[in-house]
Order: sequence, then structure tokens, then C-alpha cells
Amino acid sequence: MTTDDKKVFLKIDDVSKYFGSVTALSNVSFDVYENEIVGLVGDNGAGKSTLIKIISGNFPPDSGKIYFQDGIIRFSNPSDARRAGIETVYQDLSICDNLDAPSNLFIGREIYKKVLGLEILNMAEMKKKTKEIISEVGIKIPSIDEKVQYLSGGQRQAISLGRFIAWGKKLILLDEPTAALGVRETRKVLDLIKRTKEERKEASIILISHNLQQVFEIVDRIVVLGHGKVIGIRRTKETNTDEIVSLITGAIFVNQGKKGK
Amino acid sequence: MNIVQEDRNKKIIRAFLNNIVWIIFLFLIVTFSIGINGFFSIDNYINIIYHSVFIGILAIAETYVLISGNMDLSVESTAACSAIISVWLVSSSPYASGLMLQTWVGFVVVIAIGASVGLFNAFFVVKLKINAFLVTLSSYIFVRAIAIWITGGYGMSGLPESFRFIDRIKLLEIPLMVFLMFALYILFEFILKRSRFGRHIYVLGGNENAARNFGINVNRLLFKVFILSGIISAFAGWLMGARANGAVASMGRGYLFEVLTAVVIGGVSLTGGVGSLAGVFAGALILSSIHSALNITAVSPFITNVIQGFLIIIAVSLDSIKRMFK
Repeated sequence: MTTDDKKVFLKIDDVSKYFGSVTALSNVSFDVYENEIVGLVGDNGAGKSTLIKIISGNFPPDSGKIYFQDGIIRFSNPSDARRAGIETVYQDLSICDNLDAPSNLFIGREIYKKVLGLEILNMAEMKKKTKEIISEVGIKIPSIDEKVQYLSGGQRQAISLGRFIAWGKKLILLDEPTAALGVRETRKVLDLIKRTKEERKEASIILISHNLQQVFEIVDRIVVLGHGKVIGIRRTKETNTDEIVSLITGAIFVNQGKKGK
Repeated sequence: MNIVQEDRNKKIIRAFLNNIVWIIFLFLIVTFSIGINGFFSIDNYINIIYHSVFIGILAIAETYVLISGNMDLSVESTAACSAIISVWLVSSSPYASGLMLQTWVGFVVVIAIGASVGLFNAFFVVKLKINAFLVTLSSYIFVRAIAIWITGGYGMSGLPESFRFIDRIKLLEIPLMVFLMFALYILFEFILKRSRFGRHIYVLGGNENAARNFGINVNRLLFKVFILSGIISAFAGWLMGARANGAVASMGRGYLFEVLTAVVIGGVSLTGGVGSLAGVFAGALILSSIHSALNITAVSPFITNVIQGFLIIIAVSLDSIKRMFK
């Protein structure tokens, strides 16, 4: 399968971001094609999460443009991005320990019913949907009425992943989605990501992971970031772990971001 | 099977601990009723609720702010300021303003003052990112002082009947204020648990980052919470004026710590995101019951503070124990 005949779905064009005097991203450019999984790898502080947060509308880039489908995107907050069909699973999970699973799954898009013209929280409906979504994720949660603080790391992760299962219709951004998981749960999540790609032909996925084995297993192309720059872009089939590791650790600087495009 | 059993036991223990404040309240009422002569009577029970009204209503304001992950020390001073100003505007006392405004005009003015105090607090918390404790400590100090400065700080009495009747009126031998407090608790518990506004307060108090990531306008929400707290506090103050049939400079002094005690006993976490008004209501009633019991037995009033102090540490310890039952 080649990516050449595919449409560009998301285009990151010369994006830079500074935090005070710190350069988080410097002239980052790459494309994501339709129905593709792109792995974003790099050492800590390479700018992976910053890039994800720019695409997801948490903050704007200082320069550069992002094209999504046919237009330039300029989100002022994460809700805008969500409405455009961009769903993010954050590294910190964005979970509220004080609330139960349905409340967490539906943060910011709770279901309401109209009673006498007033909007009343519809917990029953949210619970029903939560059961469906969590069963699709495949990680069991013993009781969805419990506050999330009583759940294990994997179960909390399942809630966070449930959000992309439910709403990730177009672009799905996954920031370390298996970080809190055990071996068996990790397996399930990887299968889930692969299945999502197969089932949602109109969706693309960007995956951040430190685990190169995972990256090689599920992604189509790998973008290596280092110190806020694109160090290299490779098709998974045309590279190997050694090369990616050397790119990450800075051992070789060849084909600056050109190969594989 | 064992795991299921264990799970169920944990749930029962957790349910027990979640409602512990009501269990403590019932225990106290039963103990006092049996042990203290003159405690057991419907009149005294109504009296207990009647005397919990101001602390109870202020506790609603404090609960909202605490669940949002902030703190409002200004509730007492806002209430005092509201009581003093509303009486000053309306009263016929020679020490009052002399304006002798309509009762409802006084009401509108003090509600606006309450909203302004909330706006002040929210501005510094949201825009300048100053810790709410410090911002509201500042308003705790200056809000009452402004009222005293404007009015000269004289004791004023002599309110028109239109103002006093709020305290005097009774339905079925029960003061209107008691019904009013019940109504406010039901209304604000409903808003907290079932409305978008209330739900987002819990999210904000639980994880501010998550609230922002999922597009909740955190700044606007905080403005609403602080302004609401100011308005509720001012309303409580207005009722205080009606009951006192006047106002003095020291009005409501010490309410802040009673409010914080009621709220903490009621199960609201100071770190945000946790608590309900059902629990806080019990907290307010517990305080009032203890006051009543000590009143009837005529023991030293300082005992009240001894008990209150210990109640806080007991409540907080129970909360800590609760977290061990994961």
C-alpha cells in the first residue's frame, strides 16, 4: 500500500511555537493522509505534546498554518477542534477523580433533557451510552457508578479512550494512550486503534508513543521530532528500529524530513 | 464470589461514611433529647432550624465556592455589610441615613453590593491569578469596614413593618425563614447536581485542566460562582437585618468560622470537587443543635468552641478514613 495516491487530510505547514525564550516547535511541517496512522516519536521535550495541543486547539501556533481537510484551522479553544471532528486523548487522561465514569466520559458534552424549558442532566442516558462505549473499548469497569478515584489505572485509561471511540470521527490524537496499561490491556488498545482505522475510513490517527515496538506494529509512517524540529519522516515498511532510534538520539542527520513524503 | 462480596462490603461502608454527617446529626438529636431536660419538644426542634438559617444560607455560598476549588472568606463580611447598609437605608433611626427608602429598594441595593463583592473577588482570582484565600481575606477585612465607615458604625433600630415581617411571618407556627432555607437548599442542590452550571463546577473543582481541555469556559464559570456567592451572602445579611430589627457594627461576627465548620462537617472538601448541600445542611443543623443543647444546660459558652473544634477534626478524620476504603 502506498500513500502517494491518497489525499492529504491534515497538513502541518511551517509551525513554530515559543514559550518565552524557549522554542518548543521550530518550522515543523508534515502531512497526514486520509485513513493513515502517523506515529510521532522523539525524546522527552521534543515537542510532541505541544504539537498535539496546537492541533487540538489548546493554544494557537506562533507562526505557520494547519490545514485540515480543505481549510485552514484556527481554533480558539478545544471545543472548536472537537466540533470540527478532532478528538484528543491527553497524556494526563483529563479525568476528574471526584466524578463517576459517565460524568468523566461526557465532560463538556453532557447529555441534557428539557424539563419545563430547563436543561436537566440526563444521567440515565449518559450511563447507558457509557456502558456501550466502555464495552467497545474492551477494558472492564466493575461499576460505572463509582467515583473514578476508586478505579485502576487501566480502567481510568479506558474512560479516556472511550472519548475517542465515541467522538473520534475524523482526526484522532492519541498522546501516550497505553502509558498506564498492563500487557493485556495494551494489546487490546493497540487492536482497538487498528480496528478504528479499518472501520473508520474517513478517519486518521496521530499516535505519540515512547514504545517503538508499538509504533512499528500499528503506524503507517513515523515522524521523528527532536528539539522542536522534524528530524526525519519514514514509512514504517522502509525503516527499522535502529534507524529511528538513531534519529531520536541524534546519531544521524540525513534526509532532513524529506524521505518518505 | 468473594471479590463480589468484598466489593459489596466496601460499597456499604462507603455509603455509610458518605452519609455519616446525617448519622451523627441523628445520634446527637436522640442523645440530647434523652439526656437533656427540655430539649425534646417540637418548638425546640423548630428553634434549632430557625437558628441555623443564617449559617445555613451562607454555607450554600461557601459550598459552591469550595466545590469549584476556591475559597471565599468574605461571606461573613458581605452579609454584615448587607445587613448594615439595608438597615441604614430603610430604618427611621436617627443614626440611619435618613433616606427611609422602601424596603425593596434597600434589598436591591444590598444584592447589588453582594454581586459587586463577588465581582471584585473573581476579578483578582481570575484575571490576576491571585489565590482566592488572599483575595477574599482582603475583602473579608474591608467589606464590613466600608459599611461601618459609611454608616458611622452606630447601632440602628426601628425598621418598617414591610422589612420586619420577613422574620415575623409564620406558616403553621413555623417561621417563614425556615421554609426559605429549605427552599434555597433544594433549589441550589438541584442546580449543583442537575444543571450544566453545577456539573461544570464539579468538573472544575475536580480537574481544572480537564475542564479547559473539554472546552469549559473556566474563567466565566469562576466569575459566576463568586458573584453567586456574594449575592447569596448579601441575601443572608438582608435577612439578618430583618431578624435583628436593626443593625450593629459587629453583626454576624464569627459567622465565617461557623460556616466553614458546617461546610467541612457536611463533607465538602477544601481541595475542591467534593461535597453536596444535603451534607452541608446536616452540618449546619449539627452546629445549631449543639448551641441549643448548651444553651438549655447553661454550661459555659466556651464549651461550644471546644466541641466545634473537635467536630472539625473528627469530620476531617472520617473523610481521611473514607479514602482508605478504596
